[in-house]
Amino acid sequence: MRWLGLGAAAAVALALAIVLGPTHVAWSALGSSEIVRSLRLPRAILAFLVGGALGMAGAALQALVRNPLADPFLLGLSGGAGLGAVLAIALHLGGPWILPLAAFVGALAAMALVYRVGLVGGAELDPRVLILAGVAVGAFAGAVTTAIVSLASAADLRNALLWLWGGLSGASWDAVLVVCVYVPLPLGVLLAAARSLDLLALGEEPARFLGADVDRVRRRVYVAASLLTAAAVAVSGVVGFVGLIVPHAMRALWGHQHRALLPAAFVGGGTLLTLADTVARVAVAPRELPVGIVTALVGVPVFALLMRRWTAR
Amino acid sequence: MALRIRRRRLPISAPTGVGIFAMRRSAQRTHLAGLVVLLAACGGGAERGERPAARAASPQRIVSLSPAITELLYALGAGDRVVGRTTWCDYPPQVRAVPSVGDGLNPNLEAIVARRPDLVVLYRSALNETAARRLGELGIATAVLRQDRLEDLADDAGVLGRLTGRAAAGDSIARGVAQLLAAPAPDLGIRLAFIVWDNPPMVIGGASYLDQLAGLAGARNVFHDLGTASAVVSLETIAARDPDVVVVLADSGPSRPPAFAGRREWQAIRAVRARRFVVLVGSVFGRPSPRAAAAVAEFHRLLEAAR
Repeated sequence: MRWLGLGAAAAVALALAIVLGPTHVAWSALGSSEIVRSLRLPRAILAFLVGGALGMAGAALQALVRNPLADPFLLGLSGGAGLGAVLAIALHLGGPWILPLAAFVGALAAMALVYRVGLVGGAELDPRVLILAGVAVGAFAGAVTTAIVSLASAADLRNALLWLWGGLSGASWDAVLVVCVYVPLPLGVLLAAARSLDLLALGEEPARFLGADVDRVRRRVYVAASLLTAAAVAVSGVVGFVGLIVPHAMRALWGHQHRALLPAAFVGGGTLLTLADTVARVAVAPRELPVGIVTALVGVPVFALLMRRWTAR
Repeated sequence: MALRIRRRRLPISAPTGVGIFAMRRSAQRTHLAGLVVLLAACGGGAERGERPAARAASPQRIVSLSPAITELLYALGAGDRVVGRTTWCDYPPQVRAVPSVGDGLNPNLEAIVARRPDLVVLYRSALNETAARRLGELGIATAVLRQDRLEDLADDAGVLGRLTGRAAAGDSIARGVAQLLAAPAPDLGIRLAFIVWDNPPMVIGGASYLDQLAGLAGARNVFHDLGTASAVVSLETIAARDPDVVVVLADSGPSRPPAFAGRREWQAIRAVRARRFVVLVGSVFGRPSPRAAAAVAEFHRLLEAAR
């Protein structure tokens, strides 16, 4: 029943994303319209995949660091991605794909750095050190980014930041294809770790007693979630709140079993981002809002309602 | 008219916190705007009729904080009195010999004061208003001018002409602008879109100098109805409004089509598919300078060639 409801919500979100847009496309022309075929359809699919990746990465990271505030960007990835994008522009690197590629590389560099720092205590990945390292690396990358923006010549860099604040304007079938090829592997790794994440939620010691290889699970989950997030940044900038709110909402509905929670977070995140992107395209047409603003505007009230329900219980 | 002159002497106070605007400062260059040799010649003619008395009373050390203002000062024949410029000031070429006081977006007060100016000319912006107030407190005269549209250029020429004792030259430039604005625009029947950034797609709206240039050059901006200088729109909107030509700005020289022309999602736009681009040099076309008439003529020529 819950799955049916979630599936229906996802279907409605996708349908709305295809039917609605800043320009009017007649019902009869939906199938043949160039705008629907080469702009709306890839954008709706990309929004769903990115939202799903963020939702699932968020759910896994919250379990990993055992902190309800964790979201996919907590661990310094957004800072790294921003630095990559701004560097690419400041160095005048050309090419149609340079911005997403540079952001991806930046996010991976930040991930590697945070991971390395997270291992300072020895071979095991300490979640507390991980969070601190993530915040520190993010702040450092942010400072370097701001320094570049304030020193280098200007308009292009401002625009780079605008992109970084989130948006799916770059959606194309190329991007959909890249994400479709790339995303299944980290998704699979996370799903395979579902049972271990359940154990990890009980605490490190009990998880060990119950037979989980805690260190290996942590490393795998961290790398897989970060790879998902880096891909999301590359195609859509930093879209906040999806990875924070969706896992909590899905936990309220599905409980703490990650075998169900992770797929639910994927579908829920996809639904939310698809809806938010439709609002971003339509609300102030012909202008467009950054989708991250919409996810916050939609997500926060929903989150507040959920919190009321939890505390009322 | 946005002229303001302050002459007050106060003790130097603590520096103001201007850094918080860092994100917004870069907005400027997109909207800066361009001018005309003919008008400069008018300025030279007026010089001979000027009385020495007027010169003694007028400022002798001027710092300009915008490329358009720098061009205007030279066109007025006051170029020899410019002692400070921004890094963007590149016209006329001899201005490069003048020391730069920074990028002019978030004025560096110390660098400006070090040039010992008796007049600082700024364009109107939140950061510059604050800077002008601070300079006034330091006893330095300032003029804050609008330079968003061609009409502003006529006003600015009048104001700066009177301030520098070159009223005749200023009025002559103002008349030139008025004529340019009044001249019946040739209609090329071309609908265009200015695309100044690709991800997210950013276009130029009606409240801009570029939109005005397009009209004068005989074309219509399909985003003329947007009430702002620039705006983020979706690709779908650009495709639906279906411009005949896409205009992009480049930093220097006429160049190749923009990088986004190669991306698949942009092929939904007919003008991109057909590679119908016009590339404008930002320093000429981006700012309302005395070269405006030449910019209009050049734009018209480029559009005709692209048709």
